[in-house]
Order: sequence, then C-alpha cells, then structure tokens
Amino acid sequence: MITEVGVIAVDGGELPLGGGLLALVRPALDRIEPGGVLAVLSKSRAVREDLPSWCRAQRHEYLGVEEIADGSDRHLISRGRFSVPLKPTEAKSALESHDGRLTAADALKAAPMPPSADPISGFAPRGAHIEPGGPSYPFTLNERDRVAPPEVAVLYDQAVSAQWDATTDIPWSKVRPLPAELERALIQVMTFLAENELSALYLPSRFIARIHPAYAEVAMFLATQLADEARHIDVFLKRARLCGRGLGISSVTTSRSLLSLLQTDDFTEAAFLLSILGEGTFLDLLSFIERYAPDEATAELVSRARNDESRHVHFGLAHVRSGLAADPNLYGRLEAAVRRRAAALHGIDGVPAPLQDALTILAAGSTQERAVAKGHEAFRQLLETMHLNRVRRLGNAGFTAAQAKIISELHTPNFM
Amino acid sequence: MSNDKSILLGAVAYDPKVVTIWEGIREHFQSEGVPMDFALFSNYERQVEELLKGHIDIAWNTPLAHVQVKQRTNGESISLGMRDSDRDFHAKVIVRRGAGITSLKDLEGKTVAVGSSDSTQARILPLYFLAQEGIDISRVKVVTFDTDLGKHGDTGTSEIDVLRALHEGQADAGTLGDLVWVNEQSAGHVDSARVEVLWTTPGFDHCMFDAHPHLSPEKIEAFKRALFAMSWENPKHRRLLELEGLREWLPPREEGYRSLEEALKTN
Repeated sequence: MITEVGVIAVDGGELPLGGGLLALVRPALDRIEPGGVLAVLSKSRAVREDLPSWCRAQRHEYLGVEEIADGSDRHLISRGRFSVPLKPTEAKSALESHDGRLTAADALKAAPMPPSADPISGFAPRGAHIEPGGPSYPFTLNERDRVAPPEVAVLYDQAVSAQWDATTDIPWSKVRPLPAELERALIQVMTFLAENELSALYLPSRFIARIHPAYAEVAMFLATQLADEARHIDVFLKRARLCGRGLGISSVTTSRSLLSLLQTDDFTEAAFLLSILGEGTFLDLLSFIERYAPDEATAELVSRARNDESRHVHFGLAHVRSGLAADPNLYGRLEAAVRRRAAALHGIDGVPAPLQDALTILAAGSTQERAVAKGHEAFRQLLETMHLNRVRRLGNAGFTAAQAKIISELHTPNFM
Repeated sequence: MSNDKSILLGAVAYDPKVVTIWEGIREHFQSEGVPMDFALFSNYERQVEELLKGHIDIAWNTPLAHVQVKQRTNGESISLGMRDSDRDFHAKVIVRRGAGITSLKDLEGKTVAVGSSDSTQARILPLYFLAQEGIDISRVKVVTFDTDLGKHGDTGTSEIDVLRALHEGQADAGTLGDLVWVNEQSAGHVDSARVEVLWTTPGFDHCMFDAHPHLSPEKIEAFKRALFAMSWENPKHRRLLELEGLREWLPPREEGYRSLEEALKTN
C-alpha cells in the first residue's frame, strides 16, 4: 500500500480517519522529514472533513485535496515540525547470525556504544529515534570509558551460556556424614562464603540503576553476576545445612570488612575492590576448598562457583583497564580507595579466627596432631598464594610491581 | 489594577490541572525575571468582571469572554497572545448513520445535540454558521447538554455528551469542536460504523490573553517576553504546554472573532 515514487503516498481506500486510516498515515509521516509531503489517497468523503482537522490538531500542514481518476481524492499533507525527527542516532549496519548463532557481541558490533550518553534518552534502546522534550533521567554513569569495557558483550555471552542449576547440577546425593570436627569446619567455611557472597550480590546492584541504558550490556552482565551470587549463596547454605548442625559464626571482622565494601560509592572503585581484589582472592580460597573438599558435592559446588567468580574477576579487570587507559589519574584514586578502606579497618590484623581455624581443620582432614600441623602449613601457603596472585592480577590491570605489592598488602584480611 | 511589581493573572479552574499549569508557568516567569501570580475563578463571568474592575491585570479568556471584554472596553483591552491551537478552530456537524441526513438541509425536523449554551465551539458558532447556511434553526429540535456552565466549554464534557448521545441513538446529529472530534477518533473512541462527519464550519479563533486597558507597557512587554520564551523542546515547558494544549504561543489576532461577535449580536 505504500509507494515511494516521488512523494510518499498511502492509499486509504474507504477507511475513515477514526477507522484505521491513521494507522497508515502516521507511520508514513514518520518516514519523511519535517516539510516533506505525504499524499493520502482516499475514497472516503468524511476524510475530506476530518483530515484537515487532524492535521491542525497534530500541527501538520494540510495542503489541500484534488479529485483524481476513479473517484478518489488525493490529499496532500506537509509534515509539521513538532514531531519525531528521523535523524538516525547510529550508523545502520546489518546484524547477521553465524551458523545459527547470534551473540550479544554480534549485536553490539551492529550498534556500538557511544562515547557518552545523554540522560534525556532515558530507557530508549541504543539507536532508537528519540522524540525531543522528554524528561532527564538520573543516570550518573554516562561515559563509556567509565562504565563499559569493550569485551563486556563477550563476557555477557559467556556468562549466559555458563549458567547452572543449584538444584540439580551438584551431586547432592554424594554427601555423607563427616566426623564432627570436620563437619563444624565445613559449616564455618560455608557460612563465611555465603556471608561474603551476599555482599557481592548487594554491591553491584547499587550501580545498575546508575548505568546509562546506552551501556545496557554492562547492566546485563551485572545481572548475570547477581544471578551467579544468588546461586552461590544458595549452594553454600545448602551444603552447610546438609550437616544438620545449623550455621557457623559471623564475625565482626567480616561484618566490618563487608560494610566498608558496601559503602563504596564509585562504580570503578567498587569493581576494583570487589572483583579484582575481593573475588580475585576468593579464586584462591575456592581452589583451596576444592582441593581439601571432603566429598564430591562440595568439590563440585566450589569448582562451579570458582568458574563464575573468575568471570567476575575478568570483568573487573576489563573495567579497570579500560578506565585506566582513558584516565591515568585513576591509579591514584584506586590506591587511595584501598588505603581509605584499610584505615577504616585498622585494628583488624588477621583472617577472622573462626575461618582461619576451619580452613586449617578442613585441610588437615582430622584433628590429629600431625594432620593439623600440615593443615596449618597449607593455610599459611594459601595466604602467600593469595598475595602473589593479587600482585600478578594488579600487574595485569596495569599497576607497577611496587604499587601492586603495597595494594595487595593493604587488602582486607577478610579476603573480601 | 495591582500596583505592586508582579503581574496578577486570572484563569478559570475548570480542572485540577489548571493549578499545575499556572504554578509551572509562574515558576517559569520567575526564572525569566518576571514576577507573576495568578488568581483562579470558578467561572468566566466573574473573571471578566474582576478584569474590568482592574482587580486582575490579565485574564486567560475563552473566545466568548474575549469578545465580551473587547465589547465592554470599547475595544481598548489589550490582546497579548494565544495558543497555536487557538487559531483556525472549526466546529463539526456529526451525524448518526442511518438518520437519513446527507445534507445540511436534512437537519430540519431532526434532533440535533449541542453542547453547553456558553460553549463557542459546541453550540454558539455551529448554530450560527448553520443559520448562515440557510438552515431554519427553529425547525431543528435542539437538545442542549448544559454541563459546566460558566466554564465556556473548557471541560469538553458537553462535547463528549453530544458524541455519546449520537452513539446511543438519542440524537440524529450533533455539534462539537474539531479537536475533540479528531482526538476522540485518534483515541479509538468513535465507532465509524455508527457516526460520521457531515460538515465543517468556517474557521474561528479560540482563547486569548486579555490585558486591562491601563496595564503598564512594561508589564505587557515583560509578560510577552516570558510567555514567548516557552519552548516545546524544553522538557519543563513541554509538560506545561501539553497540559494547556499547545505547542507554541503565538501573537494575538482579532479577525478570528468576527463570526462570534456577529453570532452574539443576532442572539
């Protein structure tokens, strides 16, 4: 019904204005520039009365009507200036699937993120035609370099395909009763993990509502991160409760450390403290627990949690690297954030005692003297490994060896 | 006339949104350095009286109130501005399909629903224009929906009543303003199988800011400057303009009120 020869024309036949004609006229007008002309062919006599009035109401200019052959009218409308502009906000590039797959990374390539975003565009998807005059949204993360690393869509795709089911993917039936001391140690470790993962669920959620939707892939990635943390909390608490002895201790050290994390107001600082330093350290902690896991179910759940966490670390590194590339002052800010947090946690001089003891017993596998000595050595080694890996990760993020060493040593003894 | 520096404007509170509109416009005027306050009236008759007494400086008037102010000040009141939507208003004659009305002459002997007695677009002018077309109004059974008297048709209630009467078969034809007619169609509230448009009246103009003849030139200029600074592209202004039913404020023009002046003389 729509032709594009010369002027755009729509053929409304007998349709009355209020009986469907507008569904042809309005979209056709949206396709032409203000001042451009639309021809409306009509056999409805009522349209002669109604179309000029509708044009007046919509501030389009009604140019007139003439009878053409076969008893039809041809009305001409010039599009008014108070309507949605046609200016595309992005270059149009075709999106194509490959071997039946269509990834978020492909979609991002077809509609790249702008260097900065206007809060006026609100929740309009990137590339939508924005009608002027809309309200301004309270987004504060409006610059690509502060929010969106280039690999975010790839990480999102990986995260989506790596989701797993806490109900069925863990061999829960393999859980057997353990000696009481070992069981108490395992409960304490799981309690500690769940408490820390709760903070990792809450902290990123504080930033999602601040991210401009032009960088929606970041919010989408964080949504997968939240789903990961929710699943981790779920499996850690299930494993603890399968022992039938309730939960372990939540220490003031952990509580103070996590509050200082939750109170971080800057998105990049939060990604640095949570993902690179906190979750990065957790990678070694989870490896340790997997190595000394008393059963297959425990080994499986910490191994799966570790895979998820390594994605979060990867995103944190990508985020900070892209921020550092755009703003060298960020080094100083991040170091200052670590120093501020260390000052706030002053007086805490070690890993929370209940966790330290539980990890020692878990690695010992029993309370027998020589086993405990070996367990203690394994724990001491763990702290060393954590420090070395933090320094390596900070080097990957772009810090010098000296900076990395200082920052790693200032990191919270609570691990997160 | 108020002697203080601020302009006192009168408006009729035909809907709660009137408070939102004028609070917003007052705030905009303040930001333009033009102190302004407003007084709300329940009807245009009282607003016109208070303007003539000089108790308010400017009245935001319907066409009927505007013509009354012009006449009672011997043309000395000062017109300041109008909405884009106030220009080239039309009224419509809508008919019920199956009522056997194919020309205006067919209206004689039929029941015609009209809006409030003080509604320019839904009663006064359509009946005047029909008479001009040679229709003997005394032979038309006029059914008046006299709602919201004193509001001069601002609420649109009587026009919706006219449409409902047509849909329900209580009238053979009806008169209403073009904006209500096309907006109701756009919103899908009109059943094209039951009603259709028969005729469009000649154009006429609608609301106007009327200033007291003695309002100081400084206040007049300040008012116009702040008013015309409002822009559809500004989100704060746009919200107010949407509520008030316009895209832009335009300068005044008088020729659009001739038909109403004539209609009031013949009444």
